[in-house]
Amino acid sequence: MNPTRPFPTGAEREAVKAAEARRVGNAQTTERFDVPVIVNEEKCISGCHICIDSCPVDCLSVSPVSGKAHMQFDECWYCLACELDCPKDAITVKIPYLLR
Amino acid sequence: MEVRHTEVDVVVIGGGSAGSTAAIRAQRELPVGRVLLLEKAHVKRSGAIAIGMDGLNNAVIPGHATPEQYVKEITMANDGIVNQRAVMAYAERSFEMIRQLDGWGVKFQKTQSGDFDVKKVHHNGSYVLPMPEGYDLKKILTRTIRRAGVRVSNRVMATRLLTAEDGRVAGVIGLDVRSGDLEIVHAPTVIRCCGASGRLGLPASGYLYGTYENPANAGDGYSLAYHAGAELTGIECFQINPLIKDYNGPACAYVTGPLGGHTVNARGHRFIESDYWSGQMMLEFYRELHSENGPVYLKLDHLAPETLTEIERVLHRTERPSRGRFHAGRGHGYASDLVEMHISEIGLCSGHSGSGVWVNEKGETTVAGLYAAGDMACVPHNYLLGAMTYGEICAESALRYLRDGRPGGGTSDARATGEPPTTGALAEQIALERARLVAALGRPRGIPHHQFEYKVRRLVNDYLQPPKTANRLRLGLEHFERALDELNEVGATSPHELMRFVEAGFIRDSAEMAARASLFRTESRWGLYHYRLDYPDLDDDAWFVHVNLRKASDGRMEAFKRAVAPYVVSLDAGERRSYYRIRVPATADSGAPVVAGAKGPPPARPTEVRPASSTSTHQELPS
Repeated sequence: MNPTRPFPTGAEREAVKAAEARRVGNAQTTERFDVPVIVNEEKCISGCHICIDSCPVDCLSVSPVSGKAHMQFDECWYCLACELDCPKDAITVKIPYLLR
Repeated sequence: MEVRHTEVDVVVIGGGSAGSTAAIRAQRELPVGRVLLLEKAHVKRSGAIAIGMDGLNNAVIPGHATPEQYVKEITMANDGIVNQRAVMAYAERSFEMIRQLDGWGVKFQKTQSGDFDVKKVHHNGSYVLPMPEGYDLKKILTRTIRRAGVRVSNRVMATRLLTAEDGRVAGVIGLDVRSGDLEIVHAPTVIRCCGASGRLGLPASGYLYGTYENPANAGDGYSLAYHAGAELTGIECFQINPLIKDYNGPACAYVTGPLGGHTVNARGHRFIESDYWSGQMMLEFYRELHSENGPVYLKLDHLAPETLTEIERVLHRTERPSRGRFHAGRGHGYASDLVEMHISEIGLCSGHSGSGVWVNEKGETTVAGLYAAGDMACVPHNYLLGAMTYGEICAESALRYLRDGRPGGGTSDARATGEPPTTGALAEQIALERARLVAALGRPRGIPHHQFEYKVRRLVNDYLQPPKTANRLRLGLEHFERALDELNEVGATSPHELMRFVEAGFIRDSAEMAARASLFRTESRWGLYHYRLDYPDLDDDAWFVHVNLRKASDGRMEAFKRAVAPYVVSLDAGERRSYYRIRVPATADSGAPVVAGAKGPPPARPTEVRPASSTSTHQELPS
């Protein structure tokens, strides 16, 4: 790069940026996802882990906000294990939006 | 990341159908605590089936079928490439397993006279035994595991196997997916029951977890075996299933068939005689789907209301109970609507096709002390009952090995010293694996696992989905080799993400295996499963062999041929090809069209069969 020209143009600039793109590291963003497991927090019992144990893909956890079960990861197989095993009938599983 | 060490006699990886019976059988002859079952999920809802199963697809029941007939049928369905001894070992023991399950409380459908109510779904014989209350299956298995006294570690996934310097298996490196700690299990025998490689192709919906297989089954067993030096076989014989479009669950012709349901094209005509899932059937299905007569439907709207109620009672409660919710969400009902079908993403699964870790009739792999059962072991079309039967077979082989078969008779390092190894091969393997996992946790801003996975699986669809060509397979392979480097950019921010990071590696390994094995076999076989556009014909002269894969001494993946063992049940050439004669002839009366405006029979379609020609001659089979 020519030191008198801090902002090269055209092919020269592209070569610099292409090299830079290989070493600049990563940046992240977040997106909202509609998830299929809906927990009725009125019915859900604090301290109960039955649905969280049931999930074959471990996508449920206790919400740090509500203390109740919630779907933390967008990884549901809509198998209904959580819904069927919940002793309080607090869970309704929807078909994931992408398949509905 | 804490590292804990445990030492047992038998470790079973995976608590699904095969793992349950393996652990229960091994525990029967060993002290409590000496058999450890590791399960990535929780045994009460794990494996290929989270809830239950509505029937056995391959029951060999005296009076309905013989082991010889079954071996013949499976040989035909697999175009001859089978280890018949392994299929026979299953066939001879499966009825014993049914009786055992009966004793555990599994309910099978029986006739009024008390006989097992076996149905015909296969092309030739009758092997389907309904389990109308199959939704209890997982509960029954879990209860039996508890009663047997098996020690269970839930939420621990195997990330690598340990191997001793002489190549024998020495244990498992486990990752606690909740705490992120490492559970090192030292054991002279390891029985892997890790299920299919079900997160390989990307479902057409684009939803990563909308797979046919339980997405927990990410090819763990295939990858673990490969890295431990074991051979794999038939990987090019992909699993592809006819499913309910979008929902991606089985349409269950096995359940509806005996009650009058069947597959039709958009004209309402039957086009296949047998709904049994074989590669040949899938090729006809694929052709119909992509023809002017497509798409393809499951037809139930002609059945009586009470029959539909019975069908719903089974299909909406057992294998995939959310199915009714899916139909209801779209306002569809079996009485008024046909069920639109399509074909699944590709996967590797011996339970349905023939891909898996190479095992013999004792469940032994090519690594001493290492066994495999269920969807990940190569016994073809083994399904649920095969998984359970081979779980027991593997346990018995492991017990025998513990008793008298161990080369040198040595004990594991930890057992000999009472201390975890600090030097030597095992210590090195543990340190290496720990470093790999710690590195991923050290990249919290690295590529998210789901983006890596999406990309690999999208490329699997682009380049590996049949029909296959060398050009596309080679391009795919380049991508999968690049993905090996990209995996070093994937980061994890929690133990859960670390689990997905490890799975991403399993998925990539499976993709490379699928590409290499498919490239190696330069012919077409198994209908759609290995349909090569550039080699469209079946070539028994060059390819009446197994294609196996293993890690070569230079660390690269190599493909090679293994001879098909002499048959124990012989077939004539006509029988060999019977699975290529399942298309309903175009001239036959194929029922009244249901589509408005459609008149008369469907346009003439070629009835000759490809890739195998029914008129070609074939080599004499060994008998």
